Amino acid sequence: MLDVFINLGLGMTVAFTLQNIALCFIGCLIGTLVGVLPGVGPVATIAILLPVTLSLDPTGSLIMLAGIYYGAQYGGSTTAILVNIPGEATAVVTAIDGHKMAQKGQAGLALGLAAIGSFFAGTVATIVIAALGVPMTRMGLLFGPTEYFSLMIMGLVFAVVLAHGSLLKAVSMILVGVLLSCVGADMETGRERMTFGLEMLQDGIEFVVLAMGIFGFGEIFKNLADPESRDVVRSRIGRLWPTLKELKDNFPPILRGTFLGSVLGVLPGNGAILGPFASYAVEKRMSKRPQDFGHGAPAAVAGPESANNAGAQTSFIPLLTLGLPPNAVMALMVGAMMIQGIVPGPQVIERNPELFWGLIASMWIGNLMLVIINLPLIGLWVKLLRVPYRLLFPAIVCFCCIGLYSIANDAAQVMMAALFGIIGYALYKLEFEPAPLALGFVLGRLLEEKLRQSLIISGGSPLTFLQSPLSAILLAIAVMALVLAISPSMRRNRDEVFKEA
Amino acid sequence: MEATSTNTETEPSAGGLGRERLAGIVLVGLGGLGLWAGSDLPFMTSEGVGSGLMPRLLSLVILGLGLLQLVLSRKDPGPSTGRWAIRETIPVILGVVLFAVTVRGYHLGPVTIPGLGLSIACPLAVVASGLAARDARLGELLVFAAVLTAFCIGLFRYALGLSVPVAPWLLGY
Repeated sequence: MLDVFINLGLGMTVAFTLQNIALCFIGCLIGTLVGVLPGVGPVATIAILLPVTLSLDPTGSLIMLAGIYYGAQYGGSTTAILVNIPGEATAVVTAIDGHKMAQKGQAGLALGLAAIGSFFAGTVATIVIAALGVPMTRMGLLFGPTEYFSLMIMGLVFAVVLAHGSLLKAVSMILVGVLLSCVGADMETGRERMTFGLEMLQDGIEFVVLAMGIFGFGEIFKNLADPESRDVVRSRIGRLWPTLKELKDNFPPILRGTFLGSVLGVLPGNGAILGPFASYAVEKRMSKRPQDFGHGAPAAVAGPESANNAGAQTSFIPLLTLGLPPNAVMALMVGAMMIQGIVPGPQVIERNPELFWGLIASMWIGNLMLVIINLPLIGLWVKLLRVPYRLLFPAIVCFCCIGLYSIANDAAQVMMAALFGIIGYALYKLEFEPAPLALGFVLGRLLEEKLRQSLIISGGSPLTFLQSPLSAILLAIAVMALVLAISPSMRRNRDEVFKEA
Repeated sequence: MEATSTNTETEPSAGGLGRERLAGIVLVGLGGLGLWAGSDLPFMTSEGVGSGLMPRLLSLVILGLGLLQLVLSRKDPGPSTGRWAIRETIPVILGVVLFAVTVRGYHLGPVTIPGLGLSIACPLAVVASGLAARDARLGELLVFAAVLTAFCIGLFRYALGLSVPVAPWLLGY
């Protein structure tokens, strides 16, 4: 236990340099700035802002990215409450009661509770990460290539099971993502693969290009085709700080939400997405006035928002300790780390302890900053929400172009992203979810590397994945999860979890 | 998901192909494309897995899933995908391409575009893409483009120190 605080102390000394605090601050600010824009979710926000961090040193760049991440998350909740446009699946729950509160003139209270809940959840989750970091890393080091491969398969299966919509489509998207990651020079032989002789494909597809195309440009096409009716709250925002009684009433939901979110976030696969839904269901069941839910119950904002933030943060655990991104946002973080020359995985904590602990410490600082800077800036965000979309999206296009160009000073990357934008729009039209594709793409290279290593060790026998007991267990869990997900009764339950809210 | 369902309701079936069936066709096409693109790669070599194993295996499974999707959607091919926003997509793509070819110049056969830097590429991208909106106003867009360009040059070139050309024809960088 003491180790945890010694390590966090090391992190604090890294994070508390003037430069890193400034980076965290700027990250939070611009993250919220972009995240607050309707139609721009956290994934798109991070994809758009990622190039901004390229010129920094690795620690600074990750700290800034973490700031952008929290800012984007919080900005998404703000939009959900004030405009009723959730930027991502987890903000859907916040939008229900949060927007109702806003219509009743309690927007301030909803935002305040969301901020306080998120801060509390963030603090707890930071300690959870610090405590689990070392043991999880040790476990990660026990994994050989065979076990790693099976672990990734299990994570991907979980991601499929937890995605909404058609299982078949989600599986296909993961596979297409892995297939896309094969494009470019073979990592062992250097032989060109599926490049069609095009120069711009020789080094493979850059993840940022794929993400910005599908999530950045793709969203724009989507929004232009089906304009969302914006219902910016006209009534007053109201006071931000809850009274002592309101705080007391909402503390249990915050506590429960934090617990649910933290636990679900650690799961491989996108467990964090379930947090807010689970919290909403629990609060509704425990509430003395369940009939208020859906009509602006404060507990229905405080609980899910805490769960959302706790899950958002503990989903860093599989990424930092095992190198496995559980969702699209974390996949972007992997992309950012790779650009900085850091391969996420159990070795990071040993080789770059200041980066690891500095990042964790800055998560907490980021959460604190959100409370300090964002609550006073609410007025500004409300003004920003009134900027018409016809001016917003050209600005986003412009930022994306500059960002894409600056990755490698190469105009071909900009055009490739435009192509991915069209692909992203087509996926949306056909109801394919883009998140599994991004996940498959990021894990693809690692997956192939581990597969090849395992087969070299085993002399070419694929049975090796069943002979290693750990690997066999992981695969068995994956198969079980998949079978359960396909079974009709489970399918109904799964739909209900997402419809409950 | 809600967005698409309302979308398809407002636009009753136009092509009649059906979303789910189209999804299956796309998957089969992708699998086929993958097989064709990776057909020159060795499947297995004497040292172990060849560079063709993963791509070919994946393409085959994607192809198989596509066929399965086609079979599953035979009875209920799903609603039409509705209107495709071609009219909104083209200006945005045009804006992006204009940015790409002007920011540092471009050569393609007889056509040579000199490097014009952010000072030209940014307004081009903003105005061209901005015209995609149904309620676009040219005057407003021109003013907005000028302001945004100044902001972007200040932010990316001077504040963040990225080596993006600004105005080679005027400043030399």
